[in-house]
Amino acid sequence: MMRRITIGAGAGFGVALGLLGATGVARAAPPIRIGVQAPITGTYADEGQGIERAVKLLAAEQNAKGGLLGRKIEVKVCDDQGEAAQAAICARQLVNDHVIAVIGSYTSGAALAAQPIYARADVIQTSDGTSNELLKHGYRTWFGNAAPNSAEAKFTAHYLVDVRHFGKIAVLTDHSSFATGLADAVVADVKADHGDVIDKSFINAGSQNFSPVLTKLKAMHPDVLYFSGYYSDGGLIRAQMVQLGMKAAFVGGDANQNVAFAKIAGPAAAGSVIINVPAPADLPYPVAKTFVAAYKAKYGALPPSVFTLTNADGMRAVMQAIAATKSVKPAKLEAYLHGMKSFQGLTGTFAWNAKGERTGSPFVAFEVQKDGSYRILYPAPTAG
Amino acid sequence: MGTFIQQVVNGLTVGGIYALIALGYTMVYGVMRLINFAHGDLCILGAFVGLSLLTGAAGSGHTGAALLLLAFVVSIIAIAVAGVVLERIAYRPLRKADRLAAVVSALGASLMIENGIMLVWGPQVHVFPAGLLPATTWHFAGATISFVQVMIILASLVLMAALYAFVNHTRFGTAIRAAAIDQDAARLMGINVNRVITSVFIIGPGLGAIGGLFIGIYYREAYFTMGWTYGLYAFIAAILGGIGNIPGAMLGGVLLGLFNAFAAGYVSSSWQDAITFGLLIAILLVRPSGLLGERVAEKV
Amino acid sequence: MRGARLGGATGAVAGPVIWAAGLALPFALDSSWVSIAAFFAIYAITALSEDVILGRAGMFDMGHAVYFGIGAYVTAILNTTLNVPILLTLPLAMLLAAAAGALLSAPLIRLRGDYLLVATIGFNAIFVLAMQNDPGGITGGSDGITGIGVPSLFGLQLESQSAMFWLDWVVLGAVLLVMRNLDRCEFGRALRYLKQDELAAGTLGVDARAVKTLAFALGAALAGLAGTLFAVQLSTVSPSSFVFTESVTLFAIVIVGGQGSIPGVLLGTALMFVVPQIFRGLAEYRYFVFGIAMVAVMVLRPQGLLPRRRAVT
Repeated sequence: MMRRITIGAGAGFGVALGLLGATGVARAAPPIRIGVQAPITGTYADEGQGIERAVKLLAAEQNAKGGLLGRKIEVKVCDDQGEAAQAAICARQLVNDHVIAVIGSYTSGAALAAQPIYARADVIQTSDGTSNELLKHGYRTWFGNAAPNSAEAKFTAHYLVDVRHFGKIAVLTDHSSFATGLADAVVADVKADHGDVIDKSFINAGSQNFSPVLTKLKAMHPDVLYFSGYYSDGGLIRAQMVQLGMKAAFVGGDANQNVAFAKIAGPAAAGSVIINVPAPADLPYPVAKTFVAAYKAKYGALPPSVFTLTNADGMRAVMQAIAATKSVKPAKLEAYLHGMKSFQGLTGTFAWNAKGERTGSPFVAFEVQKDGSYRILYPAPTAG
Repeated sequence: MGTFIQQVVNGLTVGGIYALIALGYTMVYGVMRLINFAHGDLCILGAFVGLSLLTGAAGSGHTGAALLLLAFVVSIIAIAVAGVVLERIAYRPLRKADRLAAVVSALGASLMIENGIMLVWGPQVHVFPAGLLPATTWHFAGATISFVQVMIILASLVLMAALYAFVNHTRFGTAIRAAAIDQDAARLMGINVNRVITSVFIIGPGLGAIGGLFIGIYYREAYFTMGWTYGLYAFIAAILGGIGNIPGAMLGGVLLGLFNAFAAGYVSSSWQDAITFGLLIAILLVRPSGLLGERVAEKV
Repeated sequence: MRGARLGGATGAVAGPVIWAAGLALPFALDSSWVSIAAFFAIYAITALSEDVILGRAGMFDMGHAVYFGIGAYVTAILNTTLNVPILLTLPLAMLLAAAAGALLSAPLIRLRGDYLLVATIGFNAIFVLAMQNDPGGITGGSDGITGIGVPSLFGLQLESQSAMFWLDWVVLGAVLLVMRNLDRCEFGRALRYLKQDELAAGTLGVDARAVKTLAFALGAALAGLAGTLFAVQLSTVSPSSFVFTESVTLFAIVIVGGQGSIPGVLLGTALMFVVPQIFRGLAEYRYFVFGIAMVAVMVLRPQGLLPRRRAVT
């Protein structure tokens, strides 16, 4: 506690102390600074703290191997509380701390507010934000590390209409930027695939009281309920559907993929389907297994969600770029990241297109089992 | 018809919980003219205390009803103590000050409790153990009613009736009502106002802890920011019924639950809260002191 | 505490001197602190505008973020869809915010304090939901509106962080002048009478309803002004910046600082907004400590940190 306060005060007094500190250790090679901009407090504290932990873990592992280019990696964290104004302040602060790249933020809104500041300062920004607004300006510094809504929506529509042949499809979302964007895209793609969307309804995220809207939907007799929002609501929606005796199947968007989903839904969880890249613990790649094990060993808990890992992938890609280009010059790193054909991520093999959108995401539809584990339904898993 | 009945049950269950929490707002307000913005967080703290006990005892072999009862008792005691301590530290020194000073002190306390929960239990969603109560459901004219819902509705009614009887038909209840009307006059009549206030901070948070645990058992989850949401709804319920008025808080809670259900079910789910708040404002325009509130001059 | 002891004459000198010294901040601070100072100016204007309604007129307004938001959205919509220059959107932002303040408050002014408080909370919830639901496709839904331009003055683009800070600081100066004059003019006195004793004020010929509505309109207009600056500073607006908790913070700033006291509200803004920036290093402990501090401040100084001096007339 005491140490935290002194560190806090030091960081707060800004440039004067910063310069003193920097000159003090200037003899050794200065560290490479990486920023984390994430919601450490507030509603998304869980996810924000996960991102901070993942980045710090990766930095510590690399430093144990002697760092990068003979320099240590130093992580600077800024709490944006998931709010736009705080995000803008964080961005300026991290830029002033001379970070070369920033991991985060968790919410699209906070990433959006910080984006022009990083772009102007030529600082790499890699976030799980998937709002379309993030791609609008074509910033060279932007690298979305989660699969974009558009790709997920296409896969979802294909799965609902062509694979499962659901007739009446009801769509449910909350008011967040991410979930409404995904729901709208799914509705559009289902219609394009000649599916029948009978209703689009809203829940009030966090209100827990979803029975009224579900009761309304029940009377419409949908074959499937697709929910694009977050797991804490999704698990409850599933539980309340069963409690109300709704027969419709449940299919959830990627933000439902959290260990808590099955726990919240309880016995009702079995049979629900979630569409995402595979879950952290189920990622078939050895690198992912090693990372999750190391995370669990260090922090005593599993990563809160797959977005901890996509952001970790952002950090890993930046470190790989530094090692490969033997440089910390932003222009070189950005060119390397944009030019990468394929990156071996924890969350699968992917690359970035010119807009900084993640391409090549192995979406799967998996079914929640009785014990809370996942079984991949589609595409049918290949041998091994 | 089934859909309508279902919506009524939905509304009553949540309304019962709102009402239990609203009682804490309204009693404190009645006696002290204080909006205790930390009340919602106290209730959720109650849910977390109960949760720790339930999960801690999960492996002990104790089951169901007895364990649940113990969780309720421990949680009620813990939150009542927390309520009394909160009053001593954050509100008592401000009794003679501008009313708004205490309101802001309450906001600070809310922030402290909410973040305190995050520090102790962590920021993730916590899940209540399954199978605490029978999973029985009844089907009635196309509607489904679960054991938990019936329990919450009945328990809320019983608790509210008990509180009403206590306040209206006991000597101490009379003292509470007297202090609510005029503290100075009550003091002159030999009523120990400090004791009344302490009791209000035992009863309100105690009922709130029950409400918090009901939330946890009904929805089977708890997380640290929940107190703010429920606190706000319960406060609105208290205002709707006429703040300071005990039957008003009950009526307000139940009505708010029903408003929510009907707004989402029959009007528009995307405008649910706007409809609820719009109704509230409309009611205040017609009845400026809430449904059961008396028209009294502002006390400055 | 020093500000409280400054007499009227010294205060009249000290204020402008401190403000003028503030103009030099961009030369002394790095850009993150310049942006914190700019946000301080914007929130200070908003808090002062809340003080007109809450501290001076004594009306419990816990939905003030609505008017702040209206200003921000008016600027964002006009600038991004019709390419109206930022500074031209400013009067309209103020006007629409004022109109909303007057229209929403007019029927509610007769409500008792706590009922008014809940009604304003209701307005805040409705406003945020309306922005999220994207009525007529003009508010951008939950994503909000991005790509708001930079203001230009006499052909000069106020693009750099320092230039934006100076703009905010100058506007803050102007608002401070307005607030100072409010203390001295008849309208300001009418507010004081009303707050102290509505009945007596009525016998003195104060039209309570008109004065209160006007106070709401004025407070809302100033908040709208701050909203424009906010939209420019962020170059993006979204519903989450105007949620109920923002209103609660504004409310607390006024009470913590001191109702009706200009130095008090400025200090309150600094404490509620700047101090948490300094203690970022506390990470997850930050708001726990902050909550304790709020309780401690109120218990130790219930009248606020820099309460209003006894009226000098």
